[in-house]
Amino acid sequence: MNAETTTRARRRFRFAVDRFSGIYIWGLIILIFALWVPETFLTTTTLRVLASDQAVTGMVAVGLVVPLACGVFDLSIGHVLGFTLVATTWMNVNTDINMAVVTLMMVAIGVAVGLANAAMVVKVGVNSFIATLAMSSILQAFILFVSNNRQIAGEFSDEFKSFGRNVVLGLPQPFFYLLGLTLIIWFVLEYTRSGRYAYATGGNPAAARLAGVRTDRFITVSLIVSAAVAAFAGVVLAAKLGSASLTAGPPKLIPAYTAAFLGSTQIKRGRINAWGTLIAVYLLATGVKGLQLSGTEVWVDDLFNGVTLALAVGIAVYRRRGDAPGGLAP
Amino acid sequence: MSKAFGPTEALIDVDFDLHAGEIHALVGQNGSGKSTLVKILAGVHDSDGGSIAMDGEEFDPRRPGEARLRGLRFVHQDLGLVDSLDVVENLALGRGYDVRFPRRISWRHERRQAHAALTDLGYDLDVRSLVGSLRASERTGIAIARALDGWESAARLLVLDEPTASLPEAEVARLFDVVRTIRARGVGVIYVSHHLDEVLAIADRVTILRDGARVGTFAAEDLDHDRMVELIVGRGAAGSGEQSVSPARDPASPGAPSEYEPSLIVEDLSGVVLRGVSLRVGAGEIVGVAGLTGSGREELGPALFGAAGRSGSVSVAGRVVPADRPDLAIEAGLGFVPADRKSVGLVASMVVRENVTLADLRPYVRGGLLRHRAERSDVDTWLGLLDVRPRDQTLGTMRLSGGNQQKVLLARWLRIRPRMLVLDEPTQGVDVGAKAEIHRRIVAAAHDGAGVLVCSTDTAELVRVCDRVLVMQRGGIGAELVGRDISEERIDRLCLS
Repeated sequence: MNAETTTRARRRFRFAVDRFSGIYIWGLIILIFALWVPETFLTTTTLRVLASDQAVTGMVAVGLVVPLACGVFDLSIGHVLGFTLVATTWMNVNTDINMAVVTLMMVAIGVAVGLANAAMVVKVGVNSFIATLAMSSILQAFILFVSNNRQIAGEFSDEFKSFGRNVVLGLPQPFFYLLGLTLIIWFVLEYTRSGRYAYATGGNPAAARLAGVRTDRFITVSLIVSAAVAAFAGVVLAAKLGSASLTAGPPKLIPAYTAAFLGSTQIKRGRINAWGTLIAVYLLATGVKGLQLSGTEVWVDDLFNGVTLALAVGIAVYRRRGDAPGGLAP
Repeated sequence: MSKAFGPTEALIDVDFDLHAGEIHALVGQNGSGKSTLVKILAGVHDSDGGSIAMDGEEFDPRRPGEARLRGLRFVHQDLGLVDSLDVVENLALGRGYDVRFPRRISWRHERRQAHAALTDLGYDLDVRSLVGSLRASERTGIAIARALDGWESAARLLVLDEPTASLPEAEVARLFDVVRTIRARGVGVIYVSHHLDEVLAIADRVTILRDGARVGTFAAEDLDHDRMVELIVGRGAAGSGEQSVSPARDPASPGAPSEYEPSLIVEDLSGVVLRGVSLRVGAGEIVGVAGLTGSGREELGPALFGAAGRSGSVSVAGRVVPADRPDLAIEAGLGFVPADRKSVGLVASMVVRENVTLADLRPYVRGGLLRHRAERSDVDTWLGLLDVRPRDQTLGTMRLSGGNQQKVLLARWLRIRPRMLVLDEPTQGVDVGAKAEIHRRIVAAAHDGAGVLVCSTDTAELVRVCDRVLVMQRGGIGAELVGRDISEERIDRLCLS
């Protein structure tokens, strides 16, 4: 009895180091840069810039968690964000529609894109990778069509701008959208039946179906969620930037995937999850920021992102060898 | 040409010899040692003694390439073809292409060769068509052509493992012509099958295995169907079967189907092999389904549950079960333990607890929330009940042994108390202890009022747990055994007839 309790406690402790390694590494990164470039790194400006810059990427990444949990890829999120960014600004310049209504319209566009993706994946049976890749290209065409291939400068009201720029409790408002979204998605995936069924769908669709899970439905909803979240993130980005850059959206895709996969090594090991993704977003951003402030070359950022992802997932897969197959990638 | 084997676990001192230009059939039940023998020849398994010789020259098939060099060729049951490649490319799999400078494949040359190889066997095909679009007998022909031609040494011996398992009856005759053509070339053919009529039609000699030992080798003309069944099943087996654990089959209750309320009613069920199957299972009754592979046995469970395409009507306790909707089948009170627990049963990325509760999470939901504590204690109860070891619900499911994995899958369905439980190969790849436990649980479920249908290739299992056994033959129910009429020998005979 006694011996058993000890081994249990030991196992749980080691497990915790594993599950939360991201947080420790994050702390380590902060420590390194705090010692290296204390005068610029350890400032509230750095904190605020980090929180603000990553809020949009973070939302896209956390939204992506849902389809990945269901075992499908959504490659269209970057372009959905890019499109609603441009469309929001265009609506602002060319129409008098209230921005709250515009926001709802943009989310509706996201839902429509998600439905179209789902129709291709579920009804027609196209591989999600291909279907959403096609959708990305279609959306790119729309981005160029609406913007006429020119950057659109917004004429936003202060009220709308505050939607993306306000500071609450010392942190930018979009950071709280991200926090709220993470909380909701975590909660749904962990504490509801739907969440359990979503993970089952991602783990083994055939087995899930035979256990009575409506796998098609979960895949459909998951693709709608990721696209709607990306659409909303586009609106937030418009408010934050005040104008529509044509190239701001699509590059968010790779960081989102990087964070989601890196996040799957955290909190719930081997499983794509919302909190892990959030931690990964900030771990990577902190590292990159520190490197920037230390005056390293520009290419170091991408190198850091890539190496961290490869190392984290590589180590996780190596350690789980002989364990459950799959898990990390859908 | 002669081969001799010493004892292995599945094979005891089996002598076997094959002449050039002879078709030698190898027959026996599941587990009689046919496949072990073939696998030793192919170098997959080691023999624990004994020797193999070709033209009086001993060799070791375990050495890579040795068997091939000596002219041994194999066509396995699944053929090993790639559907998305064309005939030429499939023929080149394994042996490769003749290449010209600079390593260029001359397709015209390859096509001509492929066509010639198939024409020799009596096939006239467009060699550019995709293998997936061809008929079953043509696919078998391609697999045979690939085994025979184009290697560095000539074929001397061809092993055909259940070559007709996936062939429609009309195409069997064509395959026989091919096999005879090969014999005429002086190649020895080992023909593994459990279809006795085929064996009698094509073989020159027949070797019968039973329980890993050779019963004898006979000239085909000295055998007839009944004598072969007798030799395969063995006289001694009758009556020595396992004791029944089913309570309903006490001498006091003869176990006639009429005394049960119907739990499952199936009418006119058809599928790929299944043709107009109708059956009833009563509440509290355990019905077994026996049959050779290809008889429709393996299709029945998935078709009932709606996991495979089907026509016909299925109802559970009066509620109709629609096709292709497992969720509604469960709703109607049907539970289904599939044969392949790894690919369609368990979710590998989930822990034991999640796999146990997947079929119904409603009992743990309060206020829209999943109550993990309620779920945990319920799962713990079930793991205890089925004696899953270790009794740790946080373990990755695939870390458990096969028997314990199967118990987890069974727990998933027992937990929701289905009105009708369909089990497909419930104890495949499971150790003896787990098997007994699973059997006890099946009987207990029936005792609690569930109807149970057990589809199994394990005849002893059917004898042990079933009140009634249906024997599938060519897509239909060929025979029915009730109560004390159920015996391993009877079931085996009926399967083969």
